[in-house]
Amino acid sequence: MGQEILYNKSFNIIGKDFANAGSVSVKIKKILKEIKIKPDIVYRVSICCYEAEMNAIMYAKIAELNFTISANEAVIKIEDEGPGIENLELAMKEGYSTATQEMREMGFGAGLGLPNIKNNSDEFKIDSELLVGTKLYIKINLN
Amino acid sequence: MELREIVNILECQNHTCQELLLRDIQYCYATDMMSDVLKSCKIGSLLITGLVNQQVIQIAEIMDLKGIIFASGKVPSQEVIDKSKEKNLPLLTTEKQLFDACGILYTFGLRGKEIIQKADDGSGNSI
Repeated sequence: MGQEILYNKSFNIIGKDFANAGSVSVKIKKILKEIKIKPDIVYRVSICCYEAEMNAIMYAKIAELNFTISANEAVIKIEDEGPGIENLELAMKEGYSTATQEMREMGFGAGLGLPNIKNNSDEFKIDSELLVGTKLYIKINLN
Repeated sequence: MELREIVNILECQNHTCQELLLRDIQYCYATDMMSDVLKSCKIGSLLITGLVNQQVIQIAEIMDLKGIIFASGKVPSQEVIDKSKEKNLPLLTTEKQLFDACGILYTFGLRGKEIIQKADDGSGNSI
């Protein structure tokens, strides 16, 4: 979009690494607070980031989360190597979940991950290929 | 209401620093599902949950929760307690069940979010 990039960082996420789950989102939240982004935007970005990060941890083998801030927008791109999503329409439906019993015991599987991302972003694209992986593009306007 | 009053009301055990109990609590939220917190919980609420793992601590950080109460006598691991101390997050446990803990706090005036009073239409059905 020709906008000057103020911050750009990539984070590696390892599937099933529950010990560090959420740590990327917490780091991103700190950065946003440090650069004095408005609180409601900080929460929206953090929520999107957390849901994307947890999806990668729960389902993917490995993922890369790229976070960029420019003057007008925050962009989270996450690309994983994993099983992919069989039915995107269902995955976007609130309450639908493919979480395992193990994930549910950890407090996941509400079927709100992707809907929460959609509801908190200004632009959300998802591209998934079975047995290959999933790519998410999440944009949140800062103003 | 200060958190220390909640400690008395629910007969909680405090697992973190006493000073943190001076925090003022205006709103509460109860769930065992992390995405529920992200979807519906008011920022800065007190979370009452039966889920005892470190994900709760991460969620608390994302949503700036003012504290966590583990209900139904569930006790977090030392690792979770240490992490909450590190993050200055009050961590309480109560023997009361989730439903009872919520109900008791409700009677003391705590709410999940603002309740908008409907105008009285004369039918006697206003809330």
